[in-house]
Amino acid sequence: MLVAMSEKLTTNEYTDDLRYEVFNREFMPHIDSMYNFAFRLTMDEDDANDLVQDTYLKAFRFISSFEQGTNAKAWLFRILKNSFINDYRKKSKEPSKVDYQEVETTYNSEEASDTTYTVDLRADAVQELIGDEVANALNALPVDFRTVIILCDIEGFTYEEMAKILDIPIGTVRSRLHRARNLLKEKLKSYASSMGYDS
Amino acid sequence: MNASLTTPSVEEGAEKQNMKHTCEHHAECMKIIQSILDDEATEAEKDHFRENMDKCIPCIESYRLEKCIKDSLNLKIEKKPCPQSILNTIISKINS
Repeated sequence: MLVAMSEKLTTNEYTDDLRYEVFNREFMPHIDSMYNFAFRLTMDEDDANDLVQDTYLKAFRFISSFEQGTNAKAWLFRILKNSFINDYRKKSKEPSKVDYQEVETTYNSEEASDTTYTVDLRADAVQELIGDEVANALNALPVDFRTVIILCDIEGFTYEEMAKILDIPIGTVRSRLHRARNLLKEKLKSYASSMGYDS
Repeated sequence: MNASLTTPSVEEGAEKQNMKHTCEHHAECMKIIQSILDDEATEAEKDHFRENMDKCIPCIESYRLEKCIKDSLNLKIEKKPCPQSILNTIISKINS
């Protein structure tokens, strides 16, 4: 699982000094982004703390599979995402209201993809929303849809980087993002309506 | 987003009466709008955007909404600093 972002498994020779140097230079600058990603995945501060710690310790242990000059942030995000799926998702405190597979199957159906999907939401209404309301709408999405929006719109990863982080084809990144945004618009619409911003 | 792709505005318009009020391929246009905003559009998608997006009111409205949501996610959601205690624990564990 902990392979370099390149397709092949590469093992690089690192001296002890170089391990610390690469860790500090390439990995530590991303710790705030990693913490926020962990928090938005787990929705729990203690779990986010543990997840970030575990990820950085794994990154250090497996640093020889990190190829210098490649995208360290994407490499770290991939480890964090895999740790979340393997170690945290099962014990997540987030109530699993929606079965993700079921949601994706529904949205993947031909009927859904052929239908012009619109939510009656105006840009002006979204502009009225404060950060907490936008965050709550995002947090209300099933975790896999939430993840693509975080990676693309908050962290600014390219589709290609997202495909590698999530181990899915670029076409799936594109379609999952599209569906995630439609779901988010529904949530934002609910917030805007409850606040009276859409009247 | 590519600077050469200017944001159309519904308000600009003595030509408004000549604009499309319905879009017969809006689902496809939504995918293109998303690609443009994510800076992932192909040349063909950019061409389609340039040629059509200032003529179609539903697409202009959708572009504004999608851009506003993307900007809100990026700019309005609080980004917390990683607690110092986590940094300290990581550093002490890798040095032990």
